[in-house]
Amino acid sequence: MKENEAKRIRSGGIDLHIHTTVSDGTDTPEEAVEKVRGAGLSLFSVTDHDAIKAAKTVPALLGAGDPRFVSGVEFSCRDGKGKYHVLGYGFNPASEALNRVVSHGKMLRSGKLLDRVAILREKYGIEFPEDEIFRLLSECNPGKPHLANLMIRYGYVSSIGEAMDKYLNLLPSAPEYVSPEEAIDGILRGGGIPVLAHPLFGSGRERLDESEMIRRLDRLTGYGLLGVEAFYSGFSPEQIKATLELAGKYDLLVTAGSDYHGTNKTVKLGETGLPAPSEYPAAFLRFLDRLGV
Amino acid sequence: MNTEKQIRIPLSGRIDSTNASDVEGKILGELSGCGADCAVVLDFDKLDYISSAGLRVILRLKKTWNDLSVENVSPDIFETLEMTGFTEMMTVKKAYRVVSVEGCEVIGEGANGKVYRIDSDNVVKTYKNADALSEIQHEREVARLALILGVPTAISYDVVRVGDSYGSVFELLDAKSFSKLLASEPDKYDFCVSEYVKMLKKIHSIEVPAGKLPSVKENMLRRIERMKDGLPDGLGNKLLKMTEEIPESDRMIHGDYHTKNVVLAGNEVLLIDMDTLSVGDPIFEFVFMYNAYVGYSEYDPEIVRNFQGFSAETARRFWHDSLAGCLGTKDEKEIAAFEEKVRCLSYGYLIEWGTRHPGDANRAATIALWKERLIELLRRVDSLVFDFEQGDGASGDALDVEATNENLDAVTDFVNARLDAAGCGAKAKMQIDLAVEEIFVNIANYAYAPEIGRATVRVAVSDDPLTVTITFIDRGVPYDPLKKDDPDLTLSAEDREIGGLGIFMTKKMMDDVIYEYRDGQNVLTLKKRL
Repeated sequence: MKENEAKRIRSGGIDLHIHTTVSDGTDTPEEAVEKVRGAGLSLFSVTDHDAIKAAKTVPALLGAGDPRFVSGVEFSCRDGKGKYHVLGYGFNPASEALNRVVSHGKMLRSGKLLDRVAILREKYGIEFPEDEIFRLLSECNPGKPHLANLMIRYGYVSSIGEAMDKYLNLLPSAPEYVSPEEAIDGILRGGGIPVLAHPLFGSGRERLDESEMIRRLDRLTGYGLLGVEAFYSGFSPEQIKATLELAGKYDLLVTAGSDYHGTNKTVKLGETGLPAPSEYPAAFLRFLDRLGV
Repeated sequence: MNTEKQIRIPLSGRIDSTNASDVEGKILGELSGCGADCAVVLDFDKLDYISSAGLRVILRLKKTWNDLSVENVSPDIFETLEMTGFTEMMTVKKAYRVVSVEGCEVIGEGANGKVYRIDSDNVVKTYKNADALSEIQHEREVARLALILGVPTAISYDVVRVGDSYGSVFELLDAKSFSKLLASEPDKYDFCVSEYVKMLKKIHSIEVPAGKLPSVKENMLRRIERMKDGLPDGLGNKLLKMTEEIPESDRMIHGDYHTKNVVLAGNEVLLIDMDTLSVGDPIFEFVFMYNAYVGYSEYDPEIVRNFQGFSAETARRFWHDSLAGCLGTKDEKEIAAFEEKVRCLSYGYLIEWGTRHPGDANRAATIALWKERLIELLRRVDSLVFDFEQGDGASGDALDVEATNENLDAVTDFVNARLDAAGCGAKAKMQIDLAVEEIFVNIANYAYAPEIGRATVRVAVSDDPLTVTITFIDRGVPYDPLKKDDPDLTLSAEDREIGGLGIFMTKKMMDDVIYEYRDGQNVLTLKKRL
């Protein structure tokens, strides 16, 4: 890449963690691209849950002078030791190995959706037309919020909260996710960089302390993890600092993302906690190098 | 306990929320004892409808039996499976559409089946053979391979059931075969020859990845093996030996390249009937061409008119002119010399074919004629090897120039450009440049003196190990520079014979230097590992 192009990208805003309607964001990929332009970002990635559709469609939406796009994904993973979100960057969206992980994730999600539909019908007599269920299955990764919306539309409940509290959160559901090992392996085989998302933040109640975090990184780096998301909208300056130190210990790359979900979260695009470009840590610059930007 | 590695379970009727758990129970019963590594095939041939409850059953099975696939899926159900992403999660094979050709217009007929027009936009090609399906699949695969490798061709977009057999469906091309063009528009003759030659050169320029296509030479050797004992005086063994000596090659061969298989669709020239695609030396292609235009009808000229729709004279003229075009020469002697090599193989092929296939009343006389001509040829022809790279002008990686000292720079520039592209190091490049200069200047000064003639310089780079091969070809006086004794380096410079040092240096610096005189040409080859 030309040097001044690299300079332009590295001196502008960066957000590598964005969700669209392909998963649980509220912006379509087209709207997200429009907002990325409006926010003046120079580098961005769309990281939908368990789906790489945006990596295939976004490049066609971009033209000369537009921000640089990096293919991305966020896999929801679980193994015997806990739940993790694993980000992948800069992969080839046509990679067979990576698509296998995506379709495995999709299969598990579809299975859970169909289980919930079956239980709603058998236990509560809540039924939907077949074409509605097929349409839900055809989404890249349908989940509980999608079912809740359907329950509202067919008059079974009046709000998402009611659907969740009275029904969906009470349904037994198999804790089935792709394993972190599988996700990391798929990203690597697809030519991408596997990164642990918002590591200290954990997921909900499963927030970790540092010693647990170290055990976790020992395991994930063993599978081939190459980076951690150190700059994250939900992090305090102390958490960013702690994560950067961890990254240093493990010689990991670091990334930056907001976890923007449109109107589903209050986070704004580009809100990552990154310092001014002149103060980017070396591990973040190495990540940019590795992406080729 | 079921120890089968694959188990096939037919499903029928409807699967919906009212019977999904019964169906699941039944399937699990059939799978009892099947390990997780068992391949499970759900046969949807008789299935009319599947609801989301049925999809749930499939997903639950897939969790245990990862190698689960679904076959014979109707278009409606396929649509559901595709929309819901199931086609990405497991192997789903569509049922073949059933097409009736009753009352349809027959628009073509070949040895293996008929071509019907099934509606205004589509034709279906049916196959007579019992294992039509594997034949269709083979043709689709090789056609796709050819297209990927750059040959313009038509590919069938669907396989369908036709009665008890199968057919492949093509879009109806508004196309006219070259046979029809030659028969009905004689003024298109030159156009046909030139496009036909262009297409053939394209086919032969393609290197096919190993293992993708059968070897035409092996096929020919099998045929000659079967017919050789019918020839007198060991001539059969001579033919077999000469065929064995034809170099192996990974060049694409169409295998049935005649004017019925080249069509003009709009402005585009397409190659069709790809089932005979193979790899080998281009001489074999000319064997099939000769047979199509001349060989089969050598006893009875009406055969070619019935097959191609034009006269035996036109056929022979087309064969001659396209041969001249392919060889890039107007030299009748050269053309005739090559044709003799081709005919040796052609007659061998025809005699073997004629003996195995039933024929008309003329068959015995036809075979006798082929045999007589083959015997006559085999007494004279001593090699079937032919260098197709010659006379190719500057196309590809060859440069054809007047052999003069003024052209030395053009030659070294040409060679250096290819060395640079191959990532050749400075030292090897300097050594090669010196060798190239030595050889080319020799040709310029001595090959045609006092006249001026032409020389061809060809550069090929091959991998593993990275090697450059440079070939110099001229038609000058036969001269083998390697026969010259190495100079006696113990003598002082004044006492040494002039000349000879250059070729000595060339031999030292190159890894291999080979001289051949063949078909009236000096061919000097330098090889250097990079």
